[in-house]
This record gives sequence, structure tokens and C-alpha cells, in this order.
Amino acid sequence: MLAYSLKRLLQLVVSTFGVVTLVFFTLRLIPGDAAAALAGDTITGEALERLREQMGLNKPILAQYLTYLWDLVTLRFGETITTGLPISGLLSQAFPITLSIALATITLSLIIAVPLGAMAAFMAHKGRKTLDNLITTAAMLADLMPSFWTGLVFLLFFSLMLGLFPASGMVSFDDPVTFLKRIALPVMVLSVTQIATMARITRTAVLEVLSEDYIRTARSLGWSEVRVLFRHALKNAALPIVTIVGLSFGSLLNGTVIVEFIFTIPGLGSLLVNGINSRDYQLVQTLIVFYALFFVSVNLVTDLIYKQIDPRVQL
Amino acid sequence: MTFMPVDTETVLRVQDLHTHFFTDTGIVKAVNGVSFDLLRGERVAIVGESGSGKSAMAMSLIRLLAFPGKIVSGRIDVAGNEVASLPESELNKIRGSLVGTVFQDPMSSLDPVMRVSDQMIPPVMRHLEVSHKEGEAIAERWLGRVGIPDAKLTIRAYPFEMSGGMRQRVMIAMALSCNPRLIIADEPTTALDVTIQAQIVELLKDLTAETGASMLFVTHDLGLVARFAHKVGVMYAGKLVELGPAADVFAQPRHPYTQGLLRSIPDAADGTRKRLFQIPGFPPDMRLPIVGCAFADRCAAVRDICRTEAPESTYRGVNHFASCWAPTGLDQSVVERQVKMPERIVEAELSPDPVRADALRSDVLEMNNIHKHFVRRSILPWTEAKTVHAVNGVSLRVKRGETLGIVGESGCGKSTVARLLLGLEEPTAGEIFINGSAQMVFQDPYSSFNPKMKIFDIIEEPLVVNGQSSRTERADKVCSLVSQVGLDQSFLGRYPNQLSGGQRQRVAIARALALDPSVVVADEPTSALDVSVRAQIVNLLCDLKDELGISFVFISHDLLTVRYISDRIAVMYLGEVVEYGPAAQIFDDPLHPYTRALLLAIPTPDPVREAARKIELVTGELPSPFVLQKGCAFASRCPKVADRCRTEKPVLRNFSRQRETACHYAA
Repeated sequence: MLAYSLKRLLQLVVSTFGVVTLVFFTLRLIPGDAAAALAGDTITGEALERLREQMGLNKPILAQYLTYLWDLVTLRFGETITTGLPISGLLSQAFPITLSIALATITLSLIIAVPLGAMAAFMAHKGRKTLDNLITTAAMLADLMPSFWTGLVFLLFFSLMLGLFPASGMVSFDDPVTFLKRIALPVMVLSVTQIATMARITRTAVLEVLSEDYIRTARSLGWSEVRVLFRHALKNAALPIVTIVGLSFGSLLNGTVIVEFIFTIPGLGSLLVNGINSRDYQLVQTLIVFYALFFVSVNLVTDLIYKQIDPRVQL
Repeated sequence: MTFMPVDTETVLRVQDLHTHFFTDTGIVKAVNGVSFDLLRGERVAIVGESGSGKSAMAMSLIRLLAFPGKIVSGRIDVAGNEVASLPESELNKIRGSLVGTVFQDPMSSLDPVMRVSDQMIPPVMRHLEVSHKEGEAIAERWLGRVGIPDAKLTIRAYPFEMSGGMRQRVMIAMALSCNPRLIIADEPTTALDVTIQAQIVELLKDLTAETGASMLFVTHDLGLVARFAHKVGVMYAGKLVELGPAADVFAQPRHPYTQGLLRSIPDAADGTRKRLFQIPGFPPDMRLPIVGCAFADRCAAVRDICRTEAPESTYRGVNHFASCWAPTGLDQSVVERQVKMPERIVEAELSPDPVRADALRSDVLEMNNIHKHFVRRSILPWTEAKTVHAVNGVSLRVKRGETLGIVGESGCGKSTVARLLLGLEEPTAGEIFINGSAQMVFQDPYSSFNPKMKIFDIIEEPLVVNGQSSRTERADKVCSLVSQVGLDQSFLGRYPNQLSGGQRQRVAIARALALDPSVVVADEPTSALDVSVRAQIVNLLCDLKDELGISFVFISHDLLTVRYISDRIAVMYLGEVVEYGPAAQIFDDPLHPYTRALLLAIPTPDPVREAARKIELVTGELPSPFVLQKGCAFASRCPKVADRCRTEKPVLRNFSRQRETACHYAA
């Protein structure tokens, strides 16, 4: 366990360093720089050069890189180039919102998808194909729907027609009920694909487990089908489900961009898009490093959960 | 065999059971009218080859059939419960309480993510209606009773922390924990080593005798039946073709199929090497309707009536029934037909005097003090690397045309030796000399073939790799190879999945012979095959040995077959050879205590001999391979262990001119 933690920590440092380096240099491959973006069409020539000097963009690229690395190690995220706001402040505002949406999506999806997938697998195992086909087809269809489309449909239906949830407005944590109502629509939109994926994965995993010998053993001891399915089969099928949850969690933090845009949520996704549009190296770099760290941490947690579920997993 | 049921209460009555599997490609009629009774305390063995419907029958008894299996008709009466028509909820009250079940593979039959306690205690609580504490006490008592040391500790363990033998003990404890009146055991020892198998069989025998539970025991090992059963039922194509008291069935088998099966096993006591009897052909496709007797096509005693009318089960002696038109089965007709049958029983010459032969033959293979260590290092530099001493100083020689058998339990390093011989692994130390080349035949031919390649390409492949012949030369060679292994040329265009297990193994042998090797290493080549097919492959290997003068290294845990095919035998234990010498001498007079224990553990298909034999079981299991034993590796399990054995390692030394053994006290 100790060896494993050390190994993973080392991995974390190495992969973060890789991401930092890659991001730093690729960002600078994009034509145009932050100064030009800031200046727009108004400032040109010498004035622009002066602006570059102010922003430290005239130094050799390697020097910029080293400065940046040192800042990161000393946890100085600095300010955005374009607006001059402290990045740590922006992050601490956006991150909780995105995190809440991601967590709510995962929870909602798990509650719906796992029983659905297990049910489908059970039916398929028993040879009762109708319900299985129904669930599988529905999952496939749901998976095919792009989020900008479901987003608009949900907006029309739940917000404009039924008036259940607000389509826009302030996002604040002050009042939990208002907050939940505000993020309900994005969560539902994001859940559609998540449910589809998770249900499919659950079905496959459970179906495989159901034909294992120990399931027959459990039945031979007199346990009912329901108990066999939920106590024995699901626990053994949990590893792929946990994997997909881990991956989804990572992608939910990135992939909410479109949904955040549709529902005007000031989350990490919006922050990133704005940063890229304005060539704000500092902001984009920091965000991506943040994503990378988060992704690696989620993976680590996933692996630790593996060990909890399946004692055979060697860490 | 001395135990007879004390009363005649019927625990299980099966009447005209039909179980079908409704698959996409047709209805597989797995069980086709099986009827029998089982009395209290009685042990019945159901034998048959794979596909005979024996497992489907056993699983029908408690309705544990997987989809698309279904009981179509028939009555199953378990102690007054009509199982076939019982609703699921009522059935669940019987499962685990009235009927205990033990399955084949202990490695996969326990839930891997649950502790033993979580799997064992809840059923006890439910069926016996006791508290968790009482349930735990009962579970621990049973674990102790099945021979698990430290039951209190083991009950907290996960299955993966236990050996196969221990897991099977847990399985048995689970099956027995609610005092069932009937135990259904589906090949309970097939996945275990011989010494462990012997322990488990003794355990089941003792426990059923103590508790008075009846037992239905499904197996393909006729030796086990002789050791274990009061009654035998032989299944073929979904029917019980013969049913009777074990002693009668073994002494006077009446159905040609039973007779064939019994003759296809090498005889341990018989020193002469006769050709093994083989049953030609294959079992019928159970999807197709069977007209007449299902065995007719493979039967040497077939008559006209066999092809049109199915024989009824008829009385052949006290409680002894057989379904055959010929009252005595093969016996009368077989003599005339022997001559015509290609699989005739031939008295082979006695193998030539090994001393004289030694002088004539040269060594084709020599291993000198081979070591193979597998090292597992941790990422932390201060922890010590773990080393498995898989092979620990093995020296072996094989002469031209000689067959060396390597026997030992799983984990003894015999397969590593095979891999070393072929150069698939580099030895950590020591040298291997091969005069010529070595080729391999694997245990499971199916997984050793590329499923997308035709048989022709599979056999041709080594020739292509070798690259020394033209296309037409290769085609000629492939054709001669297939006929050499007894296959028709029409097989060349087929894919591996279109062949039966025995045919695939023939292809594997043909592939191994393609480059004219001097040594063929066969790692468990017959263990995945059914008894009758096994005899075909063993006969083929013997023929090839005689015709081509190839040397074989035959690795197996099937001691009867090893003895039959080998000239010399090396017995391995924990990476070392503990005994080496001519096959017959080792079997007749084993020197090393481990060899003796192994030989005692093999059940022989003869109830009379089994009953007379006092089985001295080797206790315990293999010690951890991570710890290098200071003294004799076998010391922890040896019945004759002395202080010297624990401190001083015995070396393999000459005992007589031809025999070597590694024991301080061999005499």
C-alpha cells in the first residue's frame, strides 16, 4: 500500500509536469498572442510592443517557461493577463459550481442507471429479451442525442412550457433550494448521456457475472433472484461501473462547456472558453493544470475504491 | 463398500426426467428419460463423458439449470417435495437446507469479493432460524469438521486467500452446514490435485456416513467411482444406459459403453503394455432425433434392431439394469469383431530391457542442474525481492526413442521444465542440450490454435516459419502429417472450432511433428479430453513413438496414463526431482515417501481393490513457493519425517543402477 501510494504520487508529479509543459508550448503555437487579443484592432505597432513588454511576452520563451514553472511550484497562480483578476479567486468561484453539477449528475445517473442496467442484464440472462431490448435501445438512442439539442429541448419543455426550473439567473450557494433548482436543468441534460453509458456498462458487466459459478452457488444456497442479483452479481460487477464513473467525472468537469453556455452557468467550462478566446495564457494554463491534477486524483480515488470493492486487487 | 444404508427410506426419486436446452440452433435434449432412486445414506455416482447430460441431470434435481435449460417432463421427489413443479419461493427453502450442492471448480464457485463468513453464515441463519452468533458458531464448527485449521481465522478470509483444496472444503462445509439430506456434487474433485482429491473424497465419504446424507456424485473418473460409490449410473446421450451396485458394474459391466470405458483406462497393476481399447466415433448430436439406440454407431456389438428400436432398461442382476439388446453387451460378439476393428487390442511387446537399450541409444536431451527463479521486485528499494524457486536444480536425460514422464502436483514446476526445454524461458542457471529440435503439444489445443486459421495453415505454419521448402513440398508434408495422426484430408479445409477435442489434439500433434523434431514435449496433452478419446490419443502417441523413434517428454498429473506411456518417470516436488527411474519399478516399488503418497492417492477403477486398500493420505498442502526449504522440501507433509530431514537437504542419489531418489531414509 505504501509502495503503491508512493508510486502513484510520483506518477502524479510526472504527468502534471508533462501536462504543464505540453500546454505551455502548444498555447504559444496558436497564432496571435494575449497582447494582440487584448489590444484588438485599436493598438498596433510600438504601442503593442510596449504592451507585450509589460506582460512579459517579449522575453525568450524558455525564460517564460521557467518563470511559469517556478510560479506553479510556489503556488503563485498570478492574475489573468487580460483582466488582471487573481486566478485563484476565479477558480474558487467557478469550481464549486462545476463540482456540484458533476456530483449531482453522477449521483442521479447512478441511481437510475445501475438498477436499470442490472434489470436488463437479469432479463437477458433469463432469456426474456423484450425488456432487455427495450432498455438497450433506449440507452442507445439517449447516447446518440447531443447535449446542445437535449439542452434546448429541456429548456423549452421544463422551463418555458412547465415553468419548473429557471433557464438563467444568478448562481449562488446562499439558498440551497434555489441553487438546486438553478442547476437542475444542466444536471438533467448531462445525466441523459451518463445514464445511457452507465446502464449499458452495468448491463454488460452484470450479464457476464450472472453466468459465473459463484452466482449458481448463491442460488444453490436458497437465495432469491433479487438478492442474488443485488448482493452477489452487482458487487462483482462494480469494477467496470466504478471505472466509468471515474471517467465520467473527469469528462463532466471538461465537457460541461456547452451546457454551461446554454444555461449561462459561470463554471469552469465558461472560464476556460473565455480564457482561450482572449488568448489568456495564464488563465488557460492554470485551468488545464488544475484539470490534469483533478483527473489524476480521480483516477487515484477510483483505484482505491477498487481495492475496497475487490480485495483481490493488487495495489 | 462395507457401509450399507441402514434403512430403506427413499430420499430422492427421479422418474422419467427430461431436460432440454432451447438454444437458437435447436433443442438440445440433454436429459432423455432418466429414472432412479436414492436411499438414505446411499452414494450414487453418475459417470459419463462431456455432453452426456450428467451435469444437466444433476442440476435439474434442484432446478439450477441456466437459461435456456428447462425441465420438460418427469418427476423429481426430494424427501417428499415435488421439485419440478414447486414455486421458486418454496424451492429456495429446500435449496441449501434439504439439498446441499458442491460444484466442480472451487476457484470460481465462491464469491470472490465476499468473506467466507458473509457467504456461510446468512444461509445458516435463514435455514436453521438461528441468530448471527449461533450461525457463526455453526459455520465455524463445520469449517473445523471439514479439516480447515483455525476456523475462527479462516472464516474471516476471502476465497482468494485460500488454496483450491481449502476452497473446496469451504464449499463442502457450506453445502453441509444446514444438515441436508441430499448432497449433489458435480465433479467436486476434478479441478484438484490427486493428493487433495483423495483427501476430499475421504472427507465426503466420512461426512455422508456420519450424517446419513445421501449423495449424488457426478464424475468422469471411474477410479473415483470405485473408491466412493455404492451405486453407479452410466450416462450416455441423456440416458442412464447402465445402473447398478458399484461392485457389480465394475466386475460385470453389461452395457457395451460401460465395458468400453472400463477397458480404455490403463491398468496400474498390469505390467504388460496392451493397446488401450478405444471407443470409435463421437457421441451423437443431441439436437437431432435419435432413432434406436444412441450408442449403435459406436458399438461393436451392434445388431439390426439397435438401429430401429431403443432398448428399454432391463434387469441384469440384483438392482442392476442396462439398456442394451445384447444381454451381456460386448462380450460374445466382440471376439469376432476384434479382428476387423482397427482399434483391436494388441499385445504389444514388452519394452526392451532398459539396461541393454541404454547402451544402444544416445541422449537426445540433457538438462544439467537447471534452476529457474522468478523474481518479483517491489518499487521500494529497501524491501527484499520475492523469489519463487520454480525449478530448483533439475537434471534429466532422455534417450532417443524414450519417453520420460514427469509427474507431480500443480506448482511442482513441471510445466516450467517444459517451457525451459523449448527455450520459451531462459534458465536462471544450468544448461540444456538438445540433439535436434524440440516441439510442444499443449494441454488445450483449442486455445493454442489461431481460430481464424484453417487446419492446413495451422500445420503448415512451422514449415513456413522454417522456410526451407517450396509450396508443393509443404502441401505434401501436411498431407502426410494428417494421415500420420489418423485424420482424413477433408479436415484440412476446416477451422479449429469445427473439430472435436480429440481431433484438435491430433492436429496439435501433427503440427508438433512438422519439423521432424527429436523430442516432443507434451504438457498434459490428454487432461482436457474425455476417457474414450484420451485412449485414442495415448494410442496415437505410442504408435508415433514406435514408428518415428521420437523421444517424448510427457508431463501429466494423470499417473495411470504416465505410467502407461513412459519408459522412465521423474517425480517432481517443489521444483526438484525427488525420484527418477524406470516407470514400472517406480510404480511397483516407490522409494520416496512422496511418490508413495501420490500412488496411494490415485483411485483405481476396481471397487474390490479400492475397498481392500488402506489409504494413507498425505496430509496438508504444498508449502509456500516463496520460502526456500532448508531441509527436505517434503518434510512438512512426510509421514516418516525425522529431525535430519528438517535441517539437511537430501540430494538425488543413485539408489540402484537405474533408480535415483532424494530421501535420507529410502530403503
